[in-house]
Amino acid sequence: MLLIDDLLTRAVGFSIPGLDMFWLFEQVLYFAHKEMYDLIKDKLKENRMLYELGEMTGEEYMKSNSLLVRQLKLAEKARDMNLSVRTDILASQ
Amino acid sequence: MKPGKGKRAGGAKDGTQGVGIYVYCIIRCPEVMKSFGKVGFGGEEVYTIEHKDFAPVVSNAIMKEYNVDEEDIEVHKAVVSEVMKEHTVLPVAYGMVFKNKKLLAVSMKAGNKAMKKAIKSVDNKVELGVKVVLPKDARDLDGKADQCKSDFVEALNCIAAETKPLKLFSDRLILNSSFLVDSGRVDDFSNAVGKLAEEYSVLKVQYSGPWPPYNFVDIQILGNKRGGFR
Repeated sequence: MLLIDDLLTRAVGFSIPGLDMFWLFEQVLYFAHKEMYDLIKDKLKENRMLYELGEMTGEEYMKSNSLLVRQLKLAEKARDMNLSVRTDILASQ
Repeated sequence: MKPGKGKRAGGAKDGTQGVGIYVYCIIRCPEVMKSFGKVGFGGEEVYTIEHKDFAPVVSNAIMKEYNVDEEDIEVHKAVVSEVMKEHTVLPVAYGMVFKNKKLLAVSMKAGNKAMKKAIKSVDNKVELGVKVVLPKDARDLDGKADQCKSDFVEALNCIAAETKPLKLFSDRLILNSSFLVDSGRVDDFSNAVGKLAEEYSVLKVQYSGPWPPYNFVDIQILGNKRGGFR
């Protein structure tokens, strides 16, 4: 079965509303994940900076750092999710 | 040098982790193969591999995903600092491990032209970082934050060969920049930072380096992103 991908249809100038909606949701989700990932990275850097400036004890730093690293790993997984999987599954049918 | 698609290591599909070649940085090819001692990951020897005009500084290391881990990052940084004592380095992103020498050679070949261009721009230069931080609970320094920022930028730009403003990742940061400075002018630069820090004693100034020029070399090899040196 040949499935015309929504990106391809958009490229040639017409769209299928249902698929467009999926695409839009995926984009919103992707940017939300990316923003969350960037935010955690910034917090990690800020945490390090405050420790280096002597505004945090070693213990406080280690505690919040390990929490942020855990959050970053989760955000990394979410950000790197392959959103084209949906179309691949449909195409393989 | 940054990874292209599929360049960052992961474990083998069966879950086992083989031994690969971890790259710390790239230098101009020395006359003879050089060893920097057993300072690599797991106490492995750090050595150079000859490849035309350049030599990647490598050690044998486990093929795995090198995640954000302070100890591992410290090992990477320490090796690069050691190499920097004698050589101009092209930094390589943390976590670059190749399955074998052949794959490394393919990447080196692909990046040769870009590396030649990049090394010219960073030759005999080091990167220095300056962060200016507002004191706790102070928001705008009575409207003087902009003035302070421009004073720092103006004074330091005169000494630096190149400047790169970086992201202000905290509300308290009013300046976060990297400066590419000629090795012979590092003392001048340090004095200027010291003077500014005295002038604005209410602020916290974080001065770091010398670093390899991470923010001034951007080579993407075998990747999709186009940018930096190619």
